[in-house]
Amino acid sequence: MGRIVGIDLGTTNSLVAYVETQTGQPKCIPGPNGSTLCPSIVSLDADGSVIVGEPARRRLLTQPQRTIYSVKRLMGRGPADIQSELKLFPFRVDPASNQVIRVKLGEKSFTPPEISSFILRELKNWAEAYSGEPVDRAVITVPAYFNDAQRQATKDAGKLAGLEVLRLVNEPTAAALAYGLHEKQRGKVAVYDLGGGTFDISVLKLISTGEGDIYQVLSTNGDTHLGGDDIDNLMQAFIHERILQHDLIDFSPHGELAQELRKTLIDIKHQLSETDSATLRFALPNGKIFVHEFTRGEFEALIRPVIDRTMGPVRQALADAKLKPAEMEEVVLVGGTTRTPLVRRTVQEFFDRKPHTELNPDEVVALGAAVQASILDQGVKNMLLLDVTPLSLGIETYGGAVAKVIPRNSTIPASAQELYTTGVDNQTGIEVHVLQGERELAKDCRSLARFTLRVPPAPAGLPRIEVKFLIDANGILQVGAKDVRSGEQRVIEVQPSYGLNDADIERMLEESIEYAEQDFAERQVIEARTEAESILSATAKALANPQASQLPAAERASVEASVATLREAVKGSDYKLIRRQIEELNRATEHLAELLMNSAVQSALEGKKLAEV
Amino acid sequence: MLQLPQGSDYFGMFELPRKLWIEMGALEQKFLQLSWKLHPDNFVNAAEEEREISLKRSSELNDAYRTLRDRVGRVEYLLAIEGARKEGENKQKAPPELLEEVFELNESLDELREAKAEGGDTASLKHQLEAAEKHFEERLQGVDGELQTAAKDWDAAMDANADGATRKTIVSRLNDLLNRRSYIRNLVVNVQKELL
Repeated sequence: MGRIVGIDLGTTNSLVAYVETQTGQPKCIPGPNGSTLCPSIVSLDADGSVIVGEPARRRLLTQPQRTIYSVKRLMGRGPADIQSELKLFPFRVDPASNQVIRVKLGEKSFTPPEISSFILRELKNWAEAYSGEPVDRAVITVPAYFNDAQRQATKDAGKLAGLEVLRLVNEPTAAALAYGLHEKQRGKVAVYDLGGGTFDISVLKLISTGEGDIYQVLSTNGDTHLGGDDIDNLMQAFIHERILQHDLIDFSPHGELAQELRKTLIDIKHQLSETDSATLRFALPNGKIFVHEFTRGEFEALIRPVIDRTMGPVRQALADAKLKPAEMEEVVLVGGTTRTPLVRRTVQEFFDRKPHTELNPDEVVALGAAVQASILDQGVKNMLLLDVTPLSLGIETYGGAVAKVIPRNSTIPASAQELYTTGVDNQTGIEVHVLQGERELAKDCRSLARFTLRVPPAPAGLPRIEVKFLIDANGILQVGAKDVRSGEQRVIEVQPSYGLNDADIERMLEESIEYAEQDFAERQVIEARTEAESILSATAKALANPQASQLPAAERASVEASVATLREAVKGSDYKLIRRQIEELNRATEHLAELLMNSAVQSALEGKKLAEV
Repeated sequence: MLQLPQGSDYFGMFELPRKLWIEMGALEQKFLQLSWKLHPDNFVNAAEEEREISLKRSSELNDAYRTLRDRVGRVEYLLAIEGARKEGENKQKAPPELLEEVFELNESLDELREAKAEGGDTASLKHQLEAAEKHFEERLQGVDGELQTAAKDWDAAMDANADGATRKTIVSRLNDLLNRRSYIRNLVVNVQKELL
């Protein structure tokens, strides 16, 4: 079994973290450019290769038609759900989408879980390159307020990335775990998590018991479509309007210009967290430069509606936990958008308490996920998370009403049994419609699944089918049925209303081979060979150098022997052997490298390997 | 490893007698203690069968805690296991002594809806409904008081090892009170919705 990691699959950025064996502390893993943040941006190159992260961000400007950001907004959603998103985001939905949305990247189209799986795969690669070991299992975080379909879609993405998803953990809960470990907090804690696209508020109780620490979530609330993206949209609309007025230039939100403006405005937004004003300078296609000076005051007036929208869920979460703002002993801020001073002020005023910001708000969720991953992996028995389901589970009854069977904020796993019978003689099927949400009518709730219970023909009211609804520790629904009279158990295949079925996933896994990189070992072999080729060619060049004649014959023979063994190793596919032989050749050529350096500027080159001379 | 205290119902799960007064602190302690043992996090690397059992047991534990923690929820549950509350039973029957008041209330509600639809004056109707809401809230408190008394009677009967007939009488009283409570609560909620 390979390593296990914690992954924060974010709207704007994604991160991967693990718990260091020696220190027991969680740590975020940097990517090739040294940053721990992987922009959640995916681009499909014309040659069919997939580009993820920072390189994909650059392509947002040069190839917007082949590049997508904020795909998390589309996870687990149906075509009808996303109409409002399409006005604001440059998603190119494939017209051929039916139940599951497909988004076009260039000439190909992908489902949101597939696109997310590209991001997960990239993070998996980061972790493997960093640890030198294969990574095959993960804990992935999701917004606490994600519904069943959104959670299922995230789990599917993990599977498509070649990861066994051991647990989906709610983002604010993960953050609380990281903070609890770091600050040794106890008591009642509110976690306010405003990210790029989602908002969560969770109220937790941290309890120390004889067995260890329990993180018990009392209530959670939120909005899965509220975040920094909305601030960016407001700024963009505001500036777009002004450009339209002054310069009569209208530009489509889908084009390069809009992306360029958005990028510039995000920089302005970040500046305004530090300074009182920031100046936008934006080159228009007519050659003019559009200039606007944003003051902190103007910016805050513009974005206040977004921040105010977070307070409804905050009040509801407290009411559900039967607590008042003053009763919270700690308040924790999570998510990049909480760097905005207006957010900090608003939260501080509401709770009348200075919120915690000690941990990097971008990293804290991934760190918590890593902690949970290590708990699950090693069976660390001194910490336990008790989370809740964010939304009530209901079933449709007569007249389109909804009967709640598992109320929101129930500790998960949670279950409920319902007894079904027939209404007319010889009825052979009973329709069951499962919903999630707080509204009273089925049409206002989210449809999770519809299925038909098959019953043998019998007089009305005689059949007795007990259906068990179970929400597992990931917040995902499972359904089972039992014929009460015969005792026969049945597993019900619940096809999520907007999800992928097993056959879809199977097919995508096959298709993904086309895009997937080689598996871990194969990649290691390729990398080791590349390195070997470079040192072999450097050695050949060095031996041909006139300075090399000073090398004693015995040493020359030893270098040549090492060269031969490495050449032999490269023919095979044991990457560890190749690496060992590279080391060996490096050692054998130390003196040779010195000789070459002596002729050059010795002082500047001291300690370099042959390949670097 | 997954042994739960023997007992086929929620009370048994917490090693509690089938009584309605429950010490909340002790209930929580027991809940946390059992969670340590049963939670699926402990069984991630276990065999599938064990994982299934953990999922089933821990969901039952959470269901039980949710039910017993709630004052009304545990009365409903007690009635269900005592066989007094049947599946699909009509719980929304108007209590006879309330019929007249409910009739008046429904008339006022209709008038308000009409006035709203026609854009007429709603102020006095709203005032009337607010008074009615207050009245029914008081009624609700009254029912809650009666429910508490009946619960104490039940506990006393359990302590005294009372006979089946005595228990049945109390159970039927509790059932009536719950029905009345849920009926009045719905009325209050409906009025509140119209007044929003």
